[in-house]
Amino acid sequence: MKKRKILATLVSAAMLTATFASCGGTEGSGSKKAKKNEDGSVELTWMFWDDLNATEDLISLGYKDTIERFNEDYKGKYHVTPITTNLEEYYTNLNAKVAAGETPDVFIVSPGPQLTDYVKPKVAAPLDEYLEKDGWKDTFTSDAVFSQQTYDGKIYAVPLNTAAACCFYNTEMFEKAGASVPKTWEEMLDTCAKLQDAGYTPITISAGTAWCLSMVAGYLCEAEGVDLPALADGTASWEDGKLENACNKLLDLSKYFQKTAAGDTNDVATANFYNGDAAILIQGSWAIGQINGQNPDFESKCGVFQFPGVDRVIAKSDSLCMSSSTACPEGAAALIKYFTDDAAQKYTAEKGGKIPVTKVDYNKDEAPAQLAYVMDVFGGAKGTFGFYNESMPTTETGSHFDDTMVSVFLGEITPKDAAKDMEDFYAANCRS
Amino acid sequence: MSSSKKEVAALDPSSKKKITPVQIVIYVFLTIIAVTYLLPLLWVFNVSFKTNKEIFTAPFALPEKITFDNYSFAWTAGNLGTASLNSLIVCVISLVLSMLIGSMAAFGISRLHWKGSKLAMTYFLTGMMIPIHCVLIPLFTRFAKVTQFVNNNLGIEGFHLTNSLTSLVLPYLTFSLPITIFIMEGFFSSMPNELIECACMEGANIFQIFFKICLPLGRTGLFVTGLMTFVGNWNELLLAMVFISDETKKTLPVSLSKFVGPYNTNYSQMFAAIMIAIIPTIIVYCAFSNKIVDGLTAGAVKG
Amino acid sequence: MDKMLRNKKAIAFFMLPAFLLFTLVLFVPIVQSVYYSFCEYSVLTPPKYIGLDNYKAILSDKTFKIALKNSMFFLVFSCVSQLALGLFFAALLTNIEKGRNLFKNIIYLPCVLSSAALGLLWMFIFSPSLGISRLLEDMGVKEPPLWLMDTKGTIILPMWVIAFVALWQYVGQSMMLYMAQISGISKSLMEASYIDGCTKPMTFRYVTLPLIKPMVATAMSLNAIGSLKFFDLIFNMTEGGPNHKTEVLATHLYQQGFKYSKYGYASAIGVVLLILCLAVTLFINKVVKTEQYEM
Repeated sequence: MKKRKILATLVSAAMLTATFASCGGTEGSGSKKAKKNEDGSVELTWMFWDDLNATEDLISLGYKDTIERFNEDYKGKYHVTPITTNLEEYYTNLNAKVAAGETPDVFIVSPGPQLTDYVKPKVAAPLDEYLEKDGWKDTFTSDAVFSQQTYDGKIYAVPLNTAAACCFYNTEMFEKAGASVPKTWEEMLDTCAKLQDAGYTPITISAGTAWCLSMVAGYLCEAEGVDLPALADGTASWEDGKLENACNKLLDLSKYFQKTAAGDTNDVATANFYNGDAAILIQGSWAIGQINGQNPDFESKCGVFQFPGVDRVIAKSDSLCMSSSTACPEGAAALIKYFTDDAAQKYTAEKGGKIPVTKVDYNKDEAPAQLAYVMDVFGGAKGTFGFYNESMPTTETGSHFDDTMVSVFLGEITPKDAAKDMEDFYAANCRS
Repeated sequence: MSSSKKEVAALDPSSKKKITPVQIVIYVFLTIIAVTYLLPLLWVFNVSFKTNKEIFTAPFALPEKITFDNYSFAWTAGNLGTASLNSLIVCVISLVLSMLIGSMAAFGISRLHWKGSKLAMTYFLTGMMIPIHCVLIPLFTRFAKVTQFVNNNLGIEGFHLTNSLTSLVLPYLTFSLPITIFIMEGFFSSMPNELIECACMEGANIFQIFFKICLPLGRTGLFVTGLMTFVGNWNELLLAMVFISDETKKTLPVSLSKFVGPYNTNYSQMFAAIMIAIIPTIIVYCAFSNKIVDGLTAGAVKG
Repeated sequence: MDKMLRNKKAIAFFMLPAFLLFTLVLFVPIVQSVYYSFCEYSVLTPPKYIGLDNYKAILSDKTFKIALKNSMFFLVFSCVSQLALGLFFAALLTNIEKGRNLFKNIIYLPCVLSSAALGLLWMFIFSPSLGISRLLEDMGVKEPPLWLMDTKGTIILPMWVIAFVALWQYVGQSMMLYMAQISGISKSLMEASYIDGCTKPMTFRYVTLPLIKPMVATAMSLNAIGSLKFFDLIFNMTEGGPNHKTEVLATHLYQQGFKYSKYGYASAIGVVLLILCLAVTLFINKVVKTEQYEM
């Protein structure tokens, strides 16, 4: 009797489980029905990594405007609802939605291995068809803006703006210390020495936020001629001395960092700069909005120069992907297009302080002063390359590079060991 | 209850009315401890009135001027009103259900005679040991599939298991079950057998014994588990973040995370939001704490 | 009466709701997660069965070793410190009458606050240019320690810092449980021991301690499971850095699963964590829980 009871319970539980599990089979292969709203408009979702209401980030606020504009202009036809979460949980959230078959119609992704993760399993759709239509693609500054978004000749994401990693400097301090803008590595060390002699902290940087330090390491590797693709396919070795040299240079430069660099987070390091506690900040141009927002008086004494001794600049773009399972690709494409139209791109330059991706004519007087300097740096460079941690085969590899650079800076491992460590990691994880 | 404590205290040779030197040392020590507990919270309170710039230049100084700008911004931009209401709905429903269902199971395990009751206990306890990250994806995909199944195959369009408060109530309630069962089982098994025998003699059936005798007697235990699970759910972030994308259904912890931007964080406003979020917790806790603390004291009295 | 307590319908009534809910919402995902631990699964592509490869990979994972070491440190530290300090506070508080509830409440307070918010707060306090380091510098200390970034020693400074913050946050819970047990000890026992000429410390050692042993087992099990699953504070204070030096099992799992999309591997870590929890709970109950005393 008892056994039967237990058995019955188990069977019913198993049946329920089976009902749950069997639902998996009913999931269509992406051919979802378009969801309609009450006014007959097609419902679209757009996923982003910052809250549009609580944010102070000027670029995010610009996206909010764009969404509102789109909803207004396409009233009755399309309606887009933003799904926002913070960056920390963004990919967790996005991946869960993809796994559940609820991929948002349009979503933001960092170029590099992150984007590859969505392109390879065909989560993101190729966009060439839409880009070719109505001369959309011709509005972009050049085809080169798509280089990080292109896989096998097809474009899988549309860049919205470009930020370049530059050296921001306090012109007042430079003047008082008699320092000049450095062009070469030796001049850089010289400038820093002068600033230090004048009683200033030459450089503010964050090793607490690993990618900030790794950005500088990326520039130093570039100066040494590190060839990432060759390293990935095994035709070059990390132990050829280039990384070691770059690490030694990093250690040389670290003499001029603020005392608390090891533990400071990015926010603190940037605050040091706009509060006038340090002379140079090496950061992406997205910091312009932050600097001017927190200390509006600072704009007039903030100059920009290219990282010395390097021909190319590190550039990063926000890119939008379209879900390959979207019920309404036309609507999704129209939405992406709104982010690269003149109004949005003007805002990007004039308010957001990032470099527009299209040939838009923006008002140079409206834009923050620093943008013009960044544009000069950008225009003068012989090309761009991605953030080092986003140019490696996997996200994990990129993080490993960041962490290794922090370890070198903390004096925990020697540059030689760092090179060996990277080589071992590549051998174990990246080369097939 | 509190009288029994006094009796114990009265027995203590040192707890006569006059304060002994030992007690002075104890009081001084406890005051120092209390300060280390309260200072960090006061620091947050202080910072929540500052601007971001002030935080970085003078983190310990008092704010230059007292304004509630941070609070009003946090309240409106973070949509904290709606978020608090959502949190309240989700946590109260899961609290009531988990206490009821959990104590029923605890009663079944501790008081009813059946083979496998020990095994059932171990089965439930595994739920306490698995990190939430492991079940996140399976749970979410499952909920989404059930939603799609009901929408498409049963033709009920409005049914939503994901992106609804139900999608949080279900896991919160279930994740609270193991600890509820773990603690309540102890309470029920420590109740004297005579109690149940007596009730049985009086002609009470098993349901009456549970609802009329054991549950009221175990209410102190319910206070404890209730507090523990409520607080846990009130602060839960990851599930809430992944399961809810609708702005109007977000809960309080998710709203707090809104102030962390991709490149910089609005510390002053976030700390204001944190204060808004913890002040009700502190008020509720202070209002109920002695009841709960007494409950903990009374309830844990068992072998 | 016995018949009533063996009534199948009653058993079903009491057990089924919890059993069904638990099975469907929690146990099935656990089983699924165990299955994923034998798969290569990036969440974005369907899982591919690869046998024991994930478990083999764990053996050669350097970060896993650090995480395991740190988790073990937490386990031992929190079990010992919470036992000692929790008992100490409990003993102190039972010895005072005025303000007992006040102090009890203050010490218990952090348990009711969100550890994410507290983690952020402590990160600020230990940040080199904002928190106590700044205070120390103002007081004339030349080089205050790098609280959250130092990497010297087997158990590095940040781990101690985090362990003490965790102790600060959770000791209230243990204290409360012990207090409950102490105040429940029958007064006649205490009386008898005083009459026998025992001093207070002796009474504590020979009467109180043995009597609260079962509670030690309960509190310790909760502690042990909690410290093995420890996540929030670390995630908000150091995120496992610098260079994975403060990683624990739960943060390593999170990173592998969600940051690097290796959900199968993360599931394998989860299974190891589950087994550890089970083993430790069993061990504690074997060692600590002796025969129960009649009170």
